[in-house]
Amino acid sequence: MIDQICLHDALLEGAKEVFETMVFMDIEESLETDQDIENWALLGSITFKGGMEGCLSFCSNVSCAKAIASNMLGLDANKEPSEEDVCDAIGEIANMLMGSVKARILDKFETLEVSIPSVVSGRKLENNLGDGANKILVKLNIEDKHVAELSLLYRENTK
Amino acid sequence: MAKSIMIVDDSATMRKIIMRTINMSGLEFDRTEEAGNGAEALEKMGANPVEIMLCDVNMPEMSGTELVKKVREVSAYADTKIIMVSTESSQELIDNTIADGANGFITKPFTPEKFQEELSPYMK
Repeated sequence: MIDQICLHDALLEGAKEVFETMVFMDIEESLETDQDIENWALLGSITFKGGMEGCLSFCSNVSCAKAIASNMLGLDANKEPSEEDVCDAIGEIANMLMGSVKARILDKFETLEVSIPSVVSGRKLENNLGDGANKILVKLNIEDKHVAELSLLYRENTK
Repeated sequence: MAKSIMIVDDSATMRKIIMRTINMSGLEFDRTEEAGNGAEALEKMGANPVEIMLCDVNMPEMSGTELVKKVREVSAYADTKIIMVSTESSQELIDNTIADGANGFITKPFTPEKFQEELSPYMK
């Protein structure tokens, strides 16, 4: 059985690697657990199955998502990313986070097959894996300007 | 020496990010092509072949692994170098793709230095 601290650390380290190398933004874990994502948000998710099944998601409000897309694309400060670029960037963040997390935990599972990412927008977004699922939630402080949530919903397969 | 490159990825945004990272690495190409999947890449190769191909693994219509096999079936493309770019990093996938004919593998997240390391041997 994989321990939750190990998964929490894999999520946080994976997020730091992705943001440092691809987004060029500083992130740290936010310990202010009552901080919520306000306004219209984007949720990028990717599912996985194998030794463990579930869903990894990254959620931020639109302003944060635009800042992420702008940095990934290297846009000038006076230029806004297109809606397509913002959605694609959040999907790619979920995809790369999953890749980073998978690389950190693959020694604990024989297989872990990953889907392609999907992105939805709305308010108070979250995924649900039904009863009995474990959830790890990591709140991120991005450059002291934005709050984002990284979550891992999972069930271990004992077959 | 003139160099041409094709970026094959189903995400237009990721193609732009890869191009930005190549520019940050200091590598320069005379011609850049883009394709959204393996089938489109093959079609563009038929019209105007490139010397280096950067290829995602998971794509609709024709995956990157299928594209590698198809490119290697064509003798005219024997000198085309194919570097896979993917979040998938299992050693089994890397070994199988290299065995099928890919020349290298870059895992996401990537850095300009990684592109420099993988591509510069083919720039001479």
